[in-house]
Amino acid sequence: MDISEYFSLVFSDYTLRTITLGTAILGAVTGMLGSFAVLRKQSLLGDAISHAALPGIAVAFLITGTKDTNTLLLGALVSGLIGTFWIRSIVKKTHLKSDTALGLILSLFFGFGMLLLTFIQKQPNANQAGLDKYLFGQAATLVESDVWLMAIVTGLCLFVLLLFWKEFKLLLFDADYTKTLGFNTRFIDILITSFIVLAIVLGLQTVGVVLMSAMLLAPAAAARQWTNSLATMVLLAAVFGAFSGVFGTAISASQTNLSTGPVIVLVASVFVLFSFVFSPSRGLLFKQLRFIKNRRDLELHKTLAFMHHIAETHENISHPHAIKLLNSFQGYTRKTLQKLVEMNYVELKGNMWSLTKVGFEAAANLYTKQSTEDE
Amino acid sequence: MNSAQIEIQLIASLVAIACAIPGTFLVLRKMAMISDAISHSILPGIVIGFFITQDLNSPLLILFAAFTGIITVILVEYIQKTGLVKEDTAIGLVFPALFSIGVILIAKNANDVHLDVDAVLLGELAFAPFDRLLISGVDVGPKALWIIGVILLITVTLLIAFFKELKVSTFDAGLAASLGFSPAIIHYGLMSVASVTTVGAFDAVGAILVVALMIAPAAAAYLLTTDLKKMLGLAITFGVMSAISGYWFAHWLDASIAGSITTMLGLLFLMVYLFAPSKGVIAVMYREKQQRIEVSLLTFLLHLKNHNELEERHVNHLREHINWQKVRAKTVLELALKNNMIVVDKNIVSLTEKGDTFTSKAIDYIITNEDTQIEDMKDDFFLFRG
Repeated sequence: MDISEYFSLVFSDYTLRTITLGTAILGAVTGMLGSFAVLRKQSLLGDAISHAALPGIAVAFLITGTKDTNTLLLGALVSGLIGTFWIRSIVKKTHLKSDTALGLILSLFFGFGMLLLTFIQKQPNANQAGLDKYLFGQAATLVESDVWLMAIVTGLCLFVLLLFWKEFKLLLFDADYTKTLGFNTRFIDILITSFIVLAIVLGLQTVGVVLMSAMLLAPAAAARQWTNSLATMVLLAAVFGAFSGVFGTAISASQTNLSTGPVIVLVASVFVLFSFVFSPSRGLLFKQLRFIKNRRDLELHKTLAFMHHIAETHENISHPHAIKLLNSFQGYTRKTLQKLVEMNYVELKGNMWSLTKVGFEAAANLYTKQSTEDE
Repeated sequence: MNSAQIEIQLIASLVAIACAIPGTFLVLRKMAMISDAISHSILPGIVIGFFITQDLNSPLLILFAAFTGIITVILVEYIQKTGLVKEDTAIGLVFPALFSIGVILIAKNANDVHLDVDAVLLGELAFAPFDRLLISGVDVGPKALWIIGVILLITVTLLIAFFKELKVSTFDAGLAASLGFSPAIIHYGLMSVASVTTVGAFDAVGAILVVALMIAPAAAAYLLTTDLKKMLGLAITFGVMSAISGYWFAHWLDASIAGSITTMLGLLFLMVYLFAPSKGVIAVMYREKQQRIEVSLLTFLLHLKNHNELEERHVNHLREHINWQKVRAKTVLELALKNNMIVVDKNIVSLTEKGDTFTSKAIDYIITNEDTQIEDMKDDFFLFRG
């Protein structure tokens, strides 16, 4: 199946439609909430939470004995929340830094989860197969009810986001000010963190524990490059996330042996790379271009100033001088000279150059003019 | 205990020591999450290395994978330097991308690669003793033991040789640079050691356990001491203890050894986290309570000193005017009485001479903005603490 075939099938084929819808919704909701995680400098929290959710899945299975997705995700949610709040209390109560706390909870919970999973696998109960799909996720196992669950959670997220938009925004950019205004920052903080945990847990089935953090980060990091407004960023991140989901599913469906999770992550990474390079205001490409242009302008000005310096010593400002004189000067290149001629500042005659009247005045005013412009 | 069991415990202990050393410095340098990133992003290195060497135990493969680890660090730093995103976001972007490439490479070549992603994440320590190293036909022990032994030897040599440089650059990067130690060389040296250790250990214990063994013992040790040498020693001890107890726990449960060692590390950290003498949660909470009462006491004494009127010094006034609850007022009064700071006569409270001196001194310190001195003064005056 190639990509075009996929797009023709996506509306008619039940499985493809379910998976595509699921990954698109997932991408949108994680992108939205990820914006908050990225701006709050909690980027790696997602990584820790998704790993910390693993023991919850195993414990939920041990207690109930069923593989019902909702039950397992509920377990994951509880253990993800425990992990998150333990991280917060480690950072708050001890002198360990947040990176240590994150790494600790991530590896310890994950290790404990793996212990439980291997323990479950050794049980004589034949029902246990398939729990390890939560490690790397299997989008193919999505059914319609899962997509409905995702849609409901996304709707809830959207509702809460709109309801508390002002509070979230305020907390994001000035937590102290929020507190002095009398908002319950603890409550807002817990609310947004809980929703991040919820979004991560939803994605476990599709993308898996290991790669879930990228779903949270990548769309938000890409969106950040294009705008300075929170609303636009959240919207863009949702769009990037949804497109990563759709394209990732399309590519993985059109090839054999390609699991969906890693492909979605790679597509999202491509979005990030593209944004890093091509964003007009922050992107590396335009930054470099601006840098080169500024350097050229500076060199041009330096050359003009140098010429002015020489021309000043003569009564006739347009007295011709040898180009050779300029060779010892660093700012001088043949190109800058050409440009000065084009701007009518300089006239060339053979090996000699002379400043025009316009050029002389421009050079004389070069620094005074600039300093007034700066003010 | 048979020889295979001894060998497994020996490998686990050596891995624990080899991880604890770079782990301590990573925790101190606030770079703990880098170890997580490295442990994930070595996957494509291992896969590509495997395509080239066709041997999962070749030393070339370890170099290849360690190289990917260093590339990760460089990439993270490059992205961070562009200023487009913060450092933690940079880490979070780089390693999932590299890990995904690794997973896809494995999936696309599933038929000719004898590699399993689960094995990379978890390792299988139980099989380590069966992979023997044969030197001209003589069995000299498990390969994993030799690999991790060599890595440990290199790590320890480097640690002893550059201990001073590492110490200075960890605690005061500016001083280290001004003394002429290149921060870049030390930084990348540490990163290289962390990468090589991760790669050397992943085969035996898996990528996640490497992260746990690097961070958890060091974090637990950091809660117990502030001396670098003691911290290193404690971290190594914790690592080895968990490795051995974890092995027996897994043996009893018949489950993954790596998972079991991590669980032991988790329990150990939880214990230290709760019960560490001065930095544990319980100690911190107790100290906070103590300080709250002592601050109340000081407020109360200041109030007494300011007022001579009888009604302001009546016991009940504490509850009415200063608005303290009954229990708190009682605790504060009792503490002051026990320390001979006040006398209560017919329900009227007055400062004793000692209480008066204490309060005057405290006022002096507060006026001159040297509030911290009050803590030291408390030792001289208090017979009983709050």
